[in-house]
Amino acid sequence: MRNPVGWAALTAFSLAFFAFIYAPLFVIIGYSFNSNPVNMMIWEHFTFDWYTGLLGLSDRTTDVSNRAAYVESTDQMLAALRTSLTVALFTTTISTVIGTATAIALARYRFRMRGFYNGFLMLPMMMPDIVLGIGLLIFFVTIGMKLSMLTIIIGHCTFLTSYVFIIVQARIAGIDPALEEASADLGASEWVTLRKVLLPQLTPGILGGALLAFVISMDDLVITYFISGTGDTTLPVFIFGMIRRGVKPEINAIATLIILASVVIAALGLWLRSRKTD
Amino acid sequence: MSALLEIRDARRTFVTPEGGRLAALDGVSLDVSANEFVTLLGPSGCGKTTLLRAISGFETLDSGTMRLGGADLTGLPPFRRPVNTVFQSYALFGHMTVARNVGYALEVAGVAKAAREAEVAEALEKVGLAGLGARKPGQLSGGQRQRVALARAIIAKPQLLLLDEPLSALDRNLRQQMQLELKTLQHSLGIAFIFVTHDQEEALTMSDRIVVMRAGQIEQIGTPRDIYRHPKNRFVAEFIGETNLMPVTIDRVDGSEALARTAEGVELRLPASGRKPGEQVTAVLRPADFTLGASGIPATVSRAVYLGSDLYVFVQPKAGGPELRVIARDTAGVEAGATVHLSHDPARVHVLEAA
Repeated sequence: MRNPVGWAALTAFSLAFFAFIYAPLFVIIGYSFNSNPVNMMIWEHFTFDWYTGLLGLSDRTTDVSNRAAYVESTDQMLAALRTSLTVALFTTTISTVIGTATAIALARYRFRMRGFYNGFLMLPMMMPDIVLGIGLLIFFVTIGMKLSMLTIIIGHCTFLTSYVFIIVQARIAGIDPALEEASADLGASEWVTLRKVLLPQLTPGILGGALLAFVISMDDLVITYFISGTGDTTLPVFIFGMIRRGVKPEINAIATLIILASVVIAALGLWLRSRKTD
Repeated sequence: MSALLEIRDARRTFVTPEGGRLAALDGVSLDVSANEFVTLLGPSGCGKTTLLRAISGFETLDSGTMRLGGADLTGLPPFRRPVNTVFQSYALFGHMTVARNVGYALEVAGVAKAAREAEVAEALEKVGLAGLGARKPGQLSGGQRQRVALARAIIAKPQLLLLDEPLSALDRNLRQQMQLELKTLQHSLGIAFIFVTHDQEEALTMSDRIVVMRAGQIEQIGTPRDIYRHPKNRFVAEFIGETNLMPVTIDRVDGSEALARTAEGVELRLPASGRKPGEQVTAVLRPADFTLGASGIPATVSRAVYLGSDLYVFVQPKAGGPELRVIARDTAGVEAGATVHLSHDPARVHVLEAA
């Protein structure tokens, strides 16, 4: 028998839980449409100005007297976005290939110190970002490598490989090794077995890992902050820089656009997953 | 006639997690002829699966040789061996259709699509799955998946088909049906089957020959009748079917018959065949070798299990000693507590040398 009081309490708790998680996001989305340039907490009226301003379609900015603000909000932001996307694309590709190959090697081949490698691959994930960031910075300086987009890509790959590895490894653990044996038994070489049996079976895991790597790379602030050069700023670092000079309405608009992009990517991921498991 | 598969003194030792050494194959020699149905039978851990995997190439031998059709298999990777396997888990490729699963060996070998489709249809027909080619394995029942695995393994027409406990996941009725179908299929295909099982009933039903294994060694090789009627030792006698093992001492020899007694005084008659009084042997009697009648060994029924046309009866000889198991026609009055008399045909008694 269902206890009505308990049930109501549970429902209320669940609603409060979701409100707690999503309220900040909705606040940002709401503020991004508020036309008040000085205090975003006081509602003036609905506007798309911050979006059009961001995209360089109108010249209304928070600092009308200073046209430099437009440059900062638009060109620099777009450059930062481009840097972020480029970095995310490269790191996703590299870490997905290495992470997947490592997961297959550790799951399917027997060699010395397998357990040790397994643990060692998890380590970058557990490491505090700030330690990893400082470590990478000192390393790049020591070997005399100029900070640039390349150092960001290398830095991201060091820990994103671990993420991809863990996700692909979880998937591979659920695959019956007899599948690969059956393929070999039916005349397929190791390469053909990899291509026709193992990789198709791993696809959902690989896609999931790649998607996660992409999102984390796009999102990373702490590590990137240490290893990005003056010329190549990623979007999170750029936003962080803007916030230090006060939270401007444009930031709400950027955040809203990022939320939108994340939702689209997540939906795409879920759709890909459901398609694979039919 | 030379054998299709010749295994000579195959040895394989594993190191156990505790650091000990376990001989999975301890000097196994076996010949399999073309078109023969051979079953490897034994308890788990007896080495039967290791032997099968050594033939398919997934396990390497420490020493010994294996020849298939005269060609040495040593060092040949699995994908170069002209044998195919039906796996215990079926190992169907879930991301491919049934037709692509079945045609996989041809696809990998580079056979053109049109030729492949004809052969796939034929193979599916053979296993009774015609028309299901477009489905995914996940949409099939356990029995159907089993048949897909079978069709996939025979499409390349291997000289030898290996089956690793393929029926263990099926329910009893389906299993019995598949046993008969497998045997029929093997005859019509004309290829040799090596079938691994721990189910002695399965082995007796299907095999031309049974290889009984224990602890990495072959205990006995023979036809099902041979193994059942003339087990070589206690292990085989007890592993294959229900058995009454009775340690007896020969009392006297009367022409072609010998009279023997258990320690408790239960009297048995067995074939004389050169026995001498005082000799200690073990008599092997199957439950169906006893008949319940008016004369013979007096015994008390301790339990009677109804099997339909037969009764499975546990009886305690009045003289004492271990309980005996008897299968008799269902007769009125045979119930717990009743007194019965057990008689037997001396010619049906099998004798093991050691007591």
